[in-house]
Amino acid sequence: MRHLSISVQLLGTAAVIAVLGVASAPVLAQEEVTLRIAVPDWPPTRIMKQLADEFYVAPSGKKVTLEPDFIPWPNFQDRLSASLTSGEQRYNMAVSDSQWLGQFVEGGYYKKLNDIIDADPELQAIFADLNPNLVDAYSTYPYKSDNFYGFPQMPDVLISYYRSDIFCDEGEAAAFEGEYGYALPCTPEDFGNSDWEMMRDFGEFFQRSAGEMLAGEELTDDFFGIAYQAGKGYDFSTMQINGFLWQNGAGIWDETNQPNAQTLGVVNSPDAVTAFEKYLSLLEYMPPVVKTGGMDIFKIDELFREGKVGWIMQWIGFAESAITPDISRVADTVAFARAPGTRKADGSLDRTANIGGQPFVLTTWNDEETEREAIDFVKWWLSKETQIRFAQAGGQSGLQSVYTSPEYGTYRPWNDAFGPSLDWQRDVWHVPEFMELLTQQQEEFDKAITGQVTAKEALDAIAVFQDELLRESDRIQ
Amino acid sequence: MAETALNDTRAPLGITELRAGNWRLALLVAVIVMTVSIIALPGEISFWVSLAAVLFVGLSIVINAWGNSPGPLLVAPALALLVVMNIFPLMWSFGLSFFKFRVNRLAPPKFTGLSNYEKILTDPTVWDRLQTTAIVVVLTVTTQMVVGFLLALLFEREFPLRRVLLMLVLTPMMLSFVAVGAFFRFYYEPTFGLLSQAVRVFTGEVFILQATPAGAMAGIVIADAWMWSPFVMLLVVAGLVSVPKYLYEAAEIDRASWWRKFRTITFPYIRSLLLLALLFRTIEAFKLFDIVFLITDGGPGTSTETIAVYVYRLGFQAFRTSQASALSYILLFVVIVLTNLYLYFARQRDAQV
Repeated sequence: MRHLSISVQLLGTAAVIAVLGVASAPVLAQEEVTLRIAVPDWPPTRIMKQLADEFYVAPSGKKVTLEPDFIPWPNFQDRLSASLTSGEQRYNMAVSDSQWLGQFVEGGYYKKLNDIIDADPELQAIFADLNPNLVDAYSTYPYKSDNFYGFPQMPDVLISYYRSDIFCDEGEAAAFEGEYGYALPCTPEDFGNSDWEMMRDFGEFFQRSAGEMLAGEELTDDFFGIAYQAGKGYDFSTMQINGFLWQNGAGIWDETNQPNAQTLGVVNSPDAVTAFEKYLSLLEYMPPVVKTGGMDIFKIDELFREGKVGWIMQWIGFAESAITPDISRVADTVAFARAPGTRKADGSLDRTANIGGQPFVLTTWNDEETEREAIDFVKWWLSKETQIRFAQAGGQSGLQSVYTSPEYGTYRPWNDAFGPSLDWQRDVWHVPEFMELLTQQQEEFDKAITGQVTAKEALDAIAVFQDELLRESDRIQ
Repeated sequence: MAETALNDTRAPLGITELRAGNWRLALLVAVIVMTVSIIALPGEISFWVSLAAVLFVGLSIVINAWGNSPGPLLVAPALALLVVMNIFPLMWSFGLSFFKFRVNRLAPPKFTGLSNYEKILTDPTVWDRLQTTAIVVVLTVTTQMVVGFLLALLFEREFPLRRVLLMLVLTPMMLSFVAVGAFFRFYYEPTFGLLSQAVRVFTGEVFILQATPAGAMAGIVIADAWMWSPFVMLLVVAGLVSVPKYLYEAAEIDRASWWRKFRTITFPYIRSLLLLALLFRTIEAFKLFDIVFLITDGGPGTSTETIAVYVYRLGFQAFRTSQASALSYILLFVVIVLTNLYLYFARQRDAQV
């Protein structure tokens, strides 16, 4: 035993010496810092990696490398939450959906940024330049509070994608005007002034069976006028339905007014029922997959690129694929415009919509050095120069000084639709119960979409469930 | 504390001996050290102390076995891996099922006794999902048994290209769930899908299988049966070829009918294998997740959401970690009961043979 303990002591001493020796060795090479970041796999994050590799030079003089894990969208939430909750502390940063802020802040994984922003005039300038709706959606938890947790990485909004070859066809235009008494919109300006009643007309007018004519050509397959989100998965109906609710004066549970905000009588108010019925009434003009709860953003994208639909309402993030000839049959005929709205008494449009896009967040376990490098990286990303490069490569910028500049519209064909849409954006809940609220709501919406229940029955069920859940977690009293 | 152990004369033989290989003493010390550290020290430190204590016992067992029983030592790494990867997480989640805990919140687990079990068993949603699961099990297992049995009758005989066809028929079983799910999703798709296009040739209308709860259920049952009927066939064929030929010859001489031959010769030989197939497929169908998740995602609404999909939603979407654990244990209990039935029948078969 004694021999053993002596040898252990010797070994320990040797180890200590070795560690000290390594630590005090002179640093000759340039210091390297790796920022590991969890990101969804799609163009905006691929472009970010490309720009970072090409242009980013850390102000500290260190060699900073951005090392993203590109995770497919459908698995992204699962993978990110598995990593965060397992305690592996793998990521220094993440690109997170804004709705997840609550659950990951409450879990202690996302770092509060107020002190960092307060101490940094450059960051304050960036925040002052950002569209305030983006700051609310991407940074705050509770929603619209003064607690900041994120920086915009890619702002995204729903816009109109439409087929200029059919909407601008003279024969179709004449036939449409004869039938409905007003002109078929063709330019993005005209199209961007459409309301939901007009979308119904477009849906009805352009619904054609195989063998019929469309814009002077015989159809080999059925064709449909319109399509928007009505899918059961993730948030693939909520994001569209929320817009209808808000535009018709109804609302969702207002988390900014806890604990007084109610769900009963709000979520299922008469206005909400009318709005949801309006949403449901347009489904009959959409491709048949809508009857299965399968009309998610990926299916819409596929149907549009295959040339089966005349108009879709889709996130800007998908636009790049619609104009890529290798994967899109409509690459040379697609045009983009602002999303439709609800016509008010004075003739103006209410275009309130649910915001998409994602913020960056920092995780809580970073050491001081990594944290500084991460903040420096974010500052570089949100600098005017980088944001312009990002927009030129197909991304979007939330900096007012960037997206309001006249050149912005020239970078990509859909950019003109982006800036004006931002002022109409609102976000869904940020509370930790988000996923539970969403999943139940998606199920009930799906029942109504597939015709199993009425709009009122679905909204009643949602209101009751939300009331129980939010009372259980003390968010309603 | 070690002194108490040393003075304990009623302890098993040799426990007092202060040798590196005395694992009983090591275990005793480890249990005491762990208990004290868990009570007295903060969680982060007691975790490492406990880990060190476990390693200490393990080391002692290895030293003890080194000289006198090297056999068990050979399987020790496999056992250690099993404990670390399976047994420990299983026990951990079992423990969690008695606490109020959400993995995405900072609040530490709070002991609540059986309340999670009570909540689960009184939740109408759980019973609804169990009902859906029962429908899936009955429909898919019945279909598989019938189709598998008919396929087996076909493949029992010799005919040209039998081996090639047999191999093709067995292919679905070898595919991954994800591949099968993705395949059927496209197959049922109303705009591009093969099924809809085929129906359209006759009716002129697109066919939307998944538009109704019954259709969606049929979609799942067909996909699952397509994948697993060959498994039933394989077992039944094995039973059929084990029937001695002379029995059939004797029956021929007696001019017994086909039905009589089947009832008195064939069926007794394949009965226990059929039961095995039935139980095996029942257990698997009870746990069905992948195909449902991929083809319908539980829809329309929640009409095809099986209990396995619900556990996933509870655990990884709602993050009700401890409730999901409790429900998982209830399901595990059901599966264990089914497995024991399976073992019982397997033994009966052994006894017969």
